[in-house]
Amino acid sequence: MENIETVVMSDTPHIRSYRTTKNIMLDVVIALLPACLMGCIFFGWKALMVIAISCVSAIATEVVWKLCEKKSIITICKEFDFTSLITGLLIAMCMPSTVAWYVPMLSAIFAIAVVKMLFGGTGKNIVNPAIVGRIFAFMSFTTMMSTFDTTLTNGTIVSGATELSTMLATSSTASDLELWQMFIGINLAGCLGETCKLALLIGGIYLVVRKVIDIRWPLIYIVSCGLMSALLYGDIAFFMPSILTGGLFLGAIFMATDYVTSPNNKYASYAYYLCLGLLTAGLRKATHMEVVSFAILIMNLLVPIFNKVLHPRPFGSEPLYKVCANFFKKLFSKKNKEEK
Amino acid sequence: MLEKAKLFLRGAHIPDKKNLSKDIPIEEMPAPPILAISLAQHIGKPATPIVNVGDRVLQGQLIGQSSGFISANIYSSVSGTVIGIEKRPNVSGAKVDHIIIENDNKYENVVLEPLADREPQTIKNRIAEAGIVGMGGAGFPTVVKLSPQTKVDTLIINGAECEPYLTCDYRVMKERPQDLLQGIRLLAKAVGVSKIIMGIEKNKPDMIEFFAKESDITVVALKKAYPMGSEKHLIYCCTGRKVPVGKLPADAGCVVQNIATALATYEAVELNKPLYERYMTCSGESLYQPRNLLVKIGTRYDDILNFCKGFKKDTAMLVSGGPMMGPAMLSTDIYTTKTSSGFLALSTKEVSVENPTNCINCGKCAQVCPMHLLPMQIDFYAQAGDFDSAESVGGVMNCISCGCCAYVCPAKRALVQSITLAKGQIMAKRRAAQAAQQQGGKK
Repeated sequence: MENIETVVMSDTPHIRSYRTTKNIMLDVVIALLPACLMGCIFFGWKALMVIAISCVSAIATEVVWKLCEKKSIITICKEFDFTSLITGLLIAMCMPSTVAWYVPMLSAIFAIAVVKMLFGGTGKNIVNPAIVGRIFAFMSFTTMMSTFDTTLTNGTIVSGATELSTMLATSSTASDLELWQMFIGINLAGCLGETCKLALLIGGIYLVVRKVIDIRWPLIYIVSCGLMSALLYGDIAFFMPSILTGGLFLGAIFMATDYVTSPNNKYASYAYYLCLGLLTAGLRKATHMEVVSFAILIMNLLVPIFNKVLHPRPFGSEPLYKVCANFFKKLFSKKNKEEK
Repeated sequence: MLEKAKLFLRGAHIPDKKNLSKDIPIEEMPAPPILAISLAQHIGKPATPIVNVGDRVLQGQLIGQSSGFISANIYSSVSGTVIGIEKRPNVSGAKVDHIIIENDNKYENVVLEPLADREPQTIKNRIAEAGIVGMGGAGFPTVVKLSPQTKVDTLIINGAECEPYLTCDYRVMKERPQDLLQGIRLLAKAVGVSKIIMGIEKNKPDMIEFFAKESDITVVALKKAYPMGSEKHLIYCCTGRKVPVGKLPADAGCVVQNIATALATYEAVELNKPLYERYMTCSGESLYQPRNLLVKIGTRYDDILNFCKGFKKDTAMLVSGGPMMGPAMLSTDIYTTKTSSGFLALSTKEVSVENPTNCINCGKCAQVCPMHLLPMQIDFYAQAGDFDSAESVGGVMNCISCGCCAYVCPAKRALVQSITLAKGQIMAKRRAAQAAQQQGGKK
């Protein structure tokens, strides 16, 4: 045939699904938008500024880094896969709207340059860049990061601690707010992206529908954290407030489920999110602080162990109960022999 | 009888594109003037040529003699003159011996001796004599599969046809159901089992309904998923048994045979016709006329392409077999074999030629892997050259190379390539260790 030159070779399979990394990451950005929008509605133009500064610095850092690697602008544009935009958005979302302009900027630069690019870019980082960005800001600008402005429905602005820190400090669920207010985020102090649980939930449902995340991942994390809190305080009344306050929803839906820094198979995943929930509740009780980001950071570092210990066995392997039975049989037969 | 299938949760859901050729009746393609019949169409030793250059051969005459237990006879598919025995590339690019025959268009035919009885051993001998091999793609001599070392109680007929695009098995089921049924019963007799299960995917509802009417055959309606037609998964879905790791289907008490193989058995036993032609699907969005063809073995792909009126300008890839497991062809100067089940011309829209990016550890490959392996780990270790870890962590030797992992990979990584590399390296290492052990034993 005359036009055989156009034919290419490839290894099997020759057909591929339409999903690409870029495509998935764009879905995550879309899922984050409702929460960002609600942040802007609750906290005004200040929130928008924080988001803009954070995103721009995150993307700029990546571009500058790649320019230093002597990549052409065209390659950089082709390679752009929205991951830095997600990091920028997430950093902004876990900051109070009142922070100075340089806080989101420095955090985003640190997150992208040190945590992501230094390790080799997308897919190579060992911890979630956004988490480290938040912790960096929290460590460096502690006071700024722990005062929150709340615009009450009557228009007055109140500065103060979050609902969660009050609860943790006083060990009581007594609050001026109803649960539905916490859910919607009205009159609730907090970081600009984490107050409206409804918006985060909508984003999460979008991710589940688009098959980006498994619904069991955030569910296990949130439920285990709530139950553990209730257990630690010995009162089931703590279940709802402890999951509806603080950054648990944001962390569970968007940060802990980051592909790169979570286990790669289902058994390890379930164990991972369960441990994450228990650790978060435990640390909250121990430190009286919001520790979702620290819990995720610690667990990120333990991911290789989860992958190594819990992994699926090939199709057709002996059933697990048989493996256990054989193990005990051997154990006992050895003991018997020794006794003899 | 109709039975429910066992649940199969893994595997990928791939648009099957069977509508391109599903409703086109089978057509016999006239033999081209020159054919080249490969002597290595099966797994195992290549056949030994028993004709010389210049000899006149008849259609259905033995030209390649089976050269061992795992080998198969080769028959001439036309009458004519042998004009050469030379090395030519096969589909995967390796050069193997081909017998080249010039067609005299007379189609003078010889058949095998009619069988005296239908005893299991007679049928088995005939299957071996007619050169029948597994026609699904592997090309394993059928008679070896029919003589298992362990006790078997079930014959499973693979009517899943899970590869996208391919429809030739469906057409055979639709157009020659009675012949097919006879072939299936002969196979069951040869193995000595009374239980026959036919696994058919739910995208062929008319066939499920038709075969469920037969009283001696149990039809299992399989979920439409790839790779449903893989032996191990077919056995699991049809009987609930699992083939133990590293064992053969016979260890689960099952023998699996393909639709085309069953039909070839019928033709060999009842019509005394050796295997020299087969059904084949020619499809793909880039092909002007998708077709289901009856093709003489040894036909050049170029002639098939001309018969289907050629391909469109936007052709990106030519594939022999299905798009998931069939190799891509760089030239059409290649000849069909007993295992060529399809010929696809895929357009730029259908194939993916994107460059791989970093693995983002999404775990989608592990989610779909029908063998419950960890392809991303295998890829990671194979790229790093650590093949021992690829085996111990990823379990690479259990891979059936179905390609589900690479299909779903959002980073478009060449996972199957890494797996093939790791498998090859591990096999080479094992062979070397074995050779060293044997040498040590001699000393």
